[in-house]
Amino acid sequence: MQRARLLNVIVVFTIVVLGVWTKMPLAQDALTIVTWGGAYEESQRKAFFQPFTQTTGIDIETRQYSGGLKELREQILSGRVNWDLIDLVSSDNLAACREGLLQPLNSVSLLTGDVENDFHERAITDCGIGQVIFSTVVAFDTRQFTGEKPNQIEHFFDLETFPGKRGLQRKPVAVLEWALMSYGVPKKDIYGLLSTPRGLDLAFKRLDQIKKHIVWWSEPEEPITMLSSSVVSMTSGFNGRFFDARINQGAPIQTIWDGQIMDISTWGIPKGAPHSDDARLFIRFATGSTRLAEITKYISYGPARKSANAAVGKHQQTGTDMRSYLPTFPPNYEKGLTADQEWYSHTQELIEKRFEKWINDK
Amino acid sequence: MLIRLTIVTLLGIVVGIVVAFLAISFVELVLWLNDILLVSPRSRMLFGNGYLLSFLTVLIPTVAGVITALILQKIPEKRPHNVPDAILASQSLSKKMPLKTGVLSSTAAIISLGSGASVGQYGPLAYMGSFIGSWISRLFGGNYYLGTIGIGCGAAAAISTAFNAPIAGLIFAHEVILRHYSLRSFAPITVAATIGYLIANHVMARPPLFRIEHFQLETPYEFFGFILIGVAGAFVATLLIKGILFSAATNKKVMLPAPIKTGLAGMLVGIFALQIPEILGIGKELLRFSIIEDAFTNYELASILFAKIFLTAICLGFGFAGGVFSPALLIGVLFGALVAGSLDTLAWYERSHIVIYAICGMVAVAGPVIGAPLTTILIVFELTRNYDIATAAMVSVAFANLISYRVVGRSLFDIQLVIRGFDLSLGRDKVIVEQRKVEDYVSTNFLSLPKDLSVSEAQQQMLEVEKSEAYIVGENDIYFGKLSIRQTLILMSDQDQSEVRIQDLAMQKALQLAPEESIWDAMIKMEAFVGESIPVVENGYLKGVVFEATIVSAYLNTIHNIREEENAAG
Repeated sequence: MQRARLLNVIVVFTIVVLGVWTKMPLAQDALTIVTWGGAYEESQRKAFFQPFTQTTGIDIETRQYSGGLKELREQILSGRVNWDLIDLVSSDNLAACREGLLQPLNSVSLLTGDVENDFHERAITDCGIGQVIFSTVVAFDTRQFTGEKPNQIEHFFDLETFPGKRGLQRKPVAVLEWALMSYGVPKKDIYGLLSTPRGLDLAFKRLDQIKKHIVWWSEPEEPITMLSSSVVSMTSGFNGRFFDARINQGAPIQTIWDGQIMDISTWGIPKGAPHSDDARLFIRFATGSTRLAEITKYISYGPARKSANAAVGKHQQTGTDMRSYLPTFPPNYEKGLTADQEWYSHTQELIEKRFEKWINDK
Repeated sequence: MLIRLTIVTLLGIVVGIVVAFLAISFVELVLWLNDILLVSPRSRMLFGNGYLLSFLTVLIPTVAGVITALILQKIPEKRPHNVPDAILASQSLSKKMPLKTGVLSSTAAIISLGSGASVGQYGPLAYMGSFIGSWISRLFGGNYYLGTIGIGCGAAAAISTAFNAPIAGLIFAHEVILRHYSLRSFAPITVAATIGYLIANHVMARPPLFRIEHFQLETPYEFFGFILIGVAGAFVATLLIKGILFSAATNKKVMLPAPIKTGLAGMLVGIFALQIPEILGIGKELLRFSIIEDAFTNYELASILFAKIFLTAICLGFGFAGGVFSPALLIGVLFGALVAGSLDTLAWYERSHIVIYAICGMVAVAGPVIGAPLTTILIVFELTRNYDIATAAMVSVAFANLISYRVVGRSLFDIQLVIRGFDLSLGRDKVIVEQRKVEDYVSTNFLSLPKDLSVSEAQQQMLEVEKSEAYIVGENDIYFGKLSIRQTLILMSDQDQSEVRIQDLAMQKALQLAPEESIWDAMIKMEAFVGESIPVVENGYLKGVVFEATIVSAYLNTIHNIREEENAAG
């Protein structure tokens, strides 16, 4: 173990020295990282980008995108690849890897520490290294439920005990899983059952019960406004947004962790990226336990490795203990389900068609 | 005493560890095959719909049937070994479980299960545990009782690992395999079951095979419903048992090569799966749907129930390798859900959640099929950790077993053994003594006399060697009959008779035995026998004799061994 660590240090040191020596003079040789902008990019800047430049002398330039593979595909087809590293949702990473748009990554030589046991079981794929975990959750307006508070995913479908409108994204993501969970189906069986016509029927049957009370949303900040303005009493949304509304803005919002559908944000290197070696060096740096724990000071996304979760501390701005706000906090994690992106990538068309038909029925 | 205790405990530990890892590998391998062979719904969904999927759905089980049959041709009996063979091995004390047959049977079971045949995995798992246990006990230099303990430990570890249910594993080994509770075997089997549970639960962190959330009983009157499920469940179990037996009997009458027959059975599975894809394999999804209210109409439940009984009977009867317990569990769950659905048509009947009825149905069908009411109750209790459900299940299984015992017998296993000639309901002593053959007890310490001697010459010779009985033979020991000293005395008292040739007097019709007859047969024939020895005759030639005393002592020895095993404390 000691020897492995020493070896790691030597490898990093050598790469860093070589990197500094070869790259420093060429200012235009900055590493181009494509990410999502906003508070998320800000947190990455503080936890990953700035420390990386300080340590290695390699500058980082960022580009913003909103997911999808269109632009990456175009760059590779035209032969003019100018992205070095992309922050991809895991479904895009899997799809891009299948299409041959990404470079294969050897996780064992690339990463630090006990890769096999420390990372989340779905974090490491052929062309992707998972970094942080975010989730789609249900949150409610605490002002509307003064007595018994909803704390299980089936309460989302229980209009009798917990009245009020329900906010839902107009996309068949997470909601079908929740519908089946409300029947008491164990989490590990969800995608098996959703793969049968009967399972889908049951899920939509459950949605029928709340259909008249659904308010649809499409932009990620809408759930917050819908809750604050009392348009709905409960809504689906992203855990980072709910955290921000509650902690930074003091909104009366509480998250139900039961049934959270987690997804992994992953790094991927495009085929033909101009600075592949630097990109690899960055992945090694930014997926280390210290860096992953560091990012939780700025945003409520859970590190994709256990050792980093153990080192989570307080929120930089408010001093809030971050642990219970992360999807990967063990009590939250146990209640959740990691989205089966392989399932999503194969069934998207079919499920979306069915979903739209259901919305338009009656 | 202390050494023996150490050896049996060590045996429990070793068997527990080895079997637990093998059982986990078995289950994982089947799951993996289910994914690549388009059995699991998720893999079918990812594959995408279309003609190719339909084609492969029929092709895969067909090919798997052919492969299974080809593997089974390499087993001497040309059939997969299973739980009944483990029962027989442990009941008969002397029989070992052959390793090669075990490996071939388990491989055939993995292929059958992996390709979606309607067979179960717990039987093959318990059997695999047993033959591994038997094999390890031989490495320990085991005598007959160590062999039996090894078999019990293996079965317990396998069931404990597969269900995450150590107590059920322990009871299964005693209730189904050993059929007695001696202290000597109890300790190592407990050790093996616990190790299986620990490895499944902690070392490998395996999730339980199916989980059931907590539910409560609404009214005490529902126990009448559970009794009803028990009574009716016995008949569903009977239908399944009779179906499997009928299918197996039909298979024997169809004069086609085995690979073709099993292949056709596989094709039938595929064709059914085109209509009801969930019917493939162990049916985990069906099991889950059955405990959701309103997931099925009563009509759907009834159709799937009969389709599953039909396909299970076809698969097991026509040569697929696998168990009957998982199909029985599934059929039972479907049946319980159907009863709950039917009771809903009675406006005045208030019922609890469907899951309680489904579980009562599950035990009411599975209990009788494997003849293990205690094991099934404990499986329910350990899986649900819920007293209400376990108590309800207990009532159903008690009535189901009571009735099915009267209608068909103790279990499918016992009936299959009777068909092979071992009737355990007549006692272990009979099974063991039936397996001991006369030829092993033949003595050549007897007097044979040529057939053309006179009575006086014969008497002379008998007196010389002090034998009261002699056997009359012709050329090459052709058997003519038996002569007793008493007969010669009577004949000699009459002057005219003393020179008669003995071949004319021989008691041709007197009792004789064939070498392949069992000691049990010999005992039955001996009931009205007076004399010392009985001739053993094969194709008309005299092979030797067996003494009455030998047979009696062989029987007493067996009884002694059984008593020692069943009452041993250490």
